[in-house]
Amino acid sequence: MFELFKNLGKWLVSGSSWSGSDGIAHRLAEHLQYSLLATLIAAAIGLPLGLLIGHTGKGAFLAINLSSFGRALPTVGLVVLVFLAGGLSMLPVYVALVALAVPAIVTNTYAGMTAVDPDVKDAARGQGMRGHQILFQVELPLALPLIMTGLRLALIQVVATATIAAYVSFGGLGRYVFDGLAQRDLVQVLGGAVLVAVVAVALDLLLSTLQRLLFRHRAA
Amino acid sequence: MNRRTLLGGLFAAASVPALAACSSGITSLDGSGTTSGGGSGSSKGGVTIGTANFTENQVLGYLYAAVLQQAGVKVKVRPNLGTREIVIPALKGGDIDLLPEYQGALLNYLAPKDNSSEPGTMQNALTLAMPSGLQVLPYGQAADSDCFVVTRATARKYGLTTLADLAKQNGKLVIGAAPEVKKRRVGAIGLKDVYGVEFKEFKSLDSDGPLVKGALKKGDVDVANLFTTDTDIAANDWVVLTDPKNLIPSQHIVPLIADRKADDTVRKALAKLGNVLTTEQLTQLNSQVDNDKKDPEDVANAYAKQHGLA
Repeated sequence: MFELFKNLGKWLVSGSSWSGSDGIAHRLAEHLQYSLLATLIAAAIGLPLGLLIGHTGKGAFLAINLSSFGRALPTVGLVVLVFLAGGLSMLPVYVALVALAVPAIVTNTYAGMTAVDPDVKDAARGQGMRGHQILFQVELPLALPLIMTGLRLALIQVVATATIAAYVSFGGLGRYVFDGLAQRDLVQVLGGAVLVAVVAVALDLLLSTLQRLLFRHRAA
Repeated sequence: MNRRTLLGGLFAAASVPALAACSSGITSLDGSGTTSGGGSGSSKGGVTIGTANFTENQVLGYLYAAVLQQAGVKVKVRPNLGTREIVIPALKGGDIDLLPEYQGALLNYLAPKDNSSEPGTMQNALTLAMPSGLQVLPYGQAADSDCFVVTRATARKYGLTTLADLAKQNGKLVIGAAPEVKKRRVGAIGLKDVYGVEFKEFKSLDSDGPLVKGALKKGDVDVANLFTTDTDIAANDWVVLTDPKNLIPSQHIVPLIADRKADDTVRKALAKLGNVLTTEQLTQLNSQVDNDKKDPEDVANAYAKQHGLA
């Protein structure tokens, strides 16, 4: 056991494991690229949806349950399904990651919108504000902390799951996990897993700090 | 398609029905230098059979189970354990006792420098290379080699018939195979050393499963590493590239067993199966699982019954 951790340490700090197309630096960049793009796509779908159902109060039950369906789908199964239908590309990976990320974004956006005090909305309407003005000038700013939390959750989940790109031959940190398992190189498996965890935690810390700084002036 | 390779989902080993034995008329194969030592072990306490993570190995595991059960040995099957890099340590560690193996792949795992490719010499080499506590039993007549296939269209486009032809297209072709093939001699390393082949890209997919075959079908990879007993090769009119320099060693099926369980009962039962089962029959059995979606255990039991092993 001790030997394993010693080798893991060596692997993580040696220059040769960081360089080249199979090096940690390159794999890390790939992993971040997959994760950020998938989260962006998910946000493009989830944010408008969450804002719409939150603002109108209509279709919330359907939208939330439909999007949560994505969370229940087995990720690897979804990857193979889309692969068999569409062939070998990053599409299956993005479909699976987006399906995973959308629910967190939709539900948190909706929760943030419904948490806005109805009296505030009433007051805005009483001042003669239109629907879209209420949405963007009153509801959205007030709901922003929860919306940010949803995005953060989605990104963390996606980072932890983006390892599946390696299952269909692509890169990212999952490469170490899948290759290591197949070649019984436990140091590689463990190294990949540790790196994924570190990236997830680091991004979470970064985003929550950012969130705190952005909304500092609004501290209750 | 090999549905069972998906991330090693273990499926429960059900009990194997009792089968009745009957001797086969086929003469025994060359068993020179097959095993060392006598029947020092005992199968009294039961034998745990492990299998690797692809269809055929599971079928073989259940065939072993059927003939052993018939010989009065208590068996337990633990299917779909993983690649050789995982199952052999499990065998050494005592988690499993018996494993269907392949001569060439096993020899390459145990003695990577040994490049013999003829069945008899390989069996001798295997016996020498065997770690303490393990032994190989005589090999059967069925064999399942690795092979590299291209689609008919690719073969025509680049004039490919042998592995050597691949070198004329260096830097152009993409190969799809399981991740471990990247570092195996019967894979990227051997193709480079023996034939001077360099691929444009190595795509890590699965071991003769839906990913690698799907990628070949759709043209996402040009060359795929499959097994010769895969019925999809003929069904899709794929071209198996020949191996004039004998890079790919003979892959007769051999039982790899722990000394502690290797007694005469087990030896006789497995030898009988080895003498009956042919490559063509094994290909058929694989197809029943992959294409007809039958359960590997049912397929194995039906075969054992039909061929007088039950």
